[in-house]
Amino acid sequence: MLFRRVIVCALLVGLCAGLIHSAVQRLQVVPIIAAAEVFESALEASPPSHDHAAHDHGDGAWEPQAGFERTAWTVAANVLASIGFALLLVPALAAWDRTRRDGGGASIATGLLWGAAGWVCFHVWPALGLPPELPGEASAPLGARQAWWALAVACAAAGLSLLCLVRAPWRLAGLVLLALPFVIGAPHLDGAPFAAFNAEAAAQMAALKQRFLVATAIASAVHWLALGALSGAAVRRWLRPLLLDASPGGAVGGGTRP
Amino acid sequence: MSATSTPASGLVRSRATGALAPLLGAMLLGVVVLFGVGFSGISVAHNAAHDVRHANNFPCH
Repeated sequence: MLFRRVIVCALLVGLCAGLIHSAVQRLQVVPIIAAAEVFESALEASPPSHDHAAHDHGDGAWEPQAGFERTAWTVAANVLASIGFALLLVPALAAWDRTRRDGGGASIATGLLWGAAGWVCFHVWPALGLPPELPGEASAPLGARQAWWALAVACAAAGLSLLCLVRAPWRLAGLVLLALPFVIGAPHLDGAPFAAFNAEAAAQMAALKQRFLVATAIASAVHWLALGALSGAAVRRWLRPLLLDASPGGAVGGGTRP
Repeated sequence: MSATSTPASGLVRSRATGALAPLLGAMLLGVVVLFGVGFSGISVAHNAAHDVRHANNFPCH
């Protein structure tokens, strides 16, 4: 029963937040991707001068047509990613809510704080080492970047949890975890990311990249704040009654808080 | 005090751990979903979620 209700909450939260994210992204992120792809296409049309610049979509593999189809798949993938994030945030918020029997548990306000923490974990921390990439940008091998991304997210989540949720002195170990990904270091290429382009195109790609960093940070922040607020409301309204029944206090008291 | 010293405390423990398993299960499902959207190497999955990977700062290409 609890599992099913967590899943339903995450689906609803993810759907709403994913649609909000898609709208913001459509306005200020997607146009930058499209602009970068113009340069990328021009580069691919010219004789190859740099191995890493080739934008591999998989030879002959299906890809959505430009226009409505591509937008529809982007919205669908956004919603799916948002559901994935909600499947992490809703249970975490619910588990925290169980420990806050003195009041001040899950709500829209505390959900916003959890959403901000999620933004730091899933956007800011990996972006500090591996800034969001434009199509056509050369970068280190994919496997190494994915591994470092996962390490950065895991360390940020564990580190922030220790610092914010633990009262004992060893909570300061969270600082070590927060620093760990940067001590190890993110994988980077030795060369410039736009070395394959001519000077003028490289300069324009570099300018696009700066705009892209700001645009993705804003879109991600809006997304995570929406995820947090909706998760807080969902946990308070739909999960707390079940969790009270399942908690030690609930064995005697039960019921819902106002 | 042993957590299983009385039937009542055993009941409390089973109820507490009973809530933990569904929550962890849901989080595991979330990791699987995020892997599929952001990390999967299958070309079709990559192409469908291409803009989302770039916009969400998942490493792409």
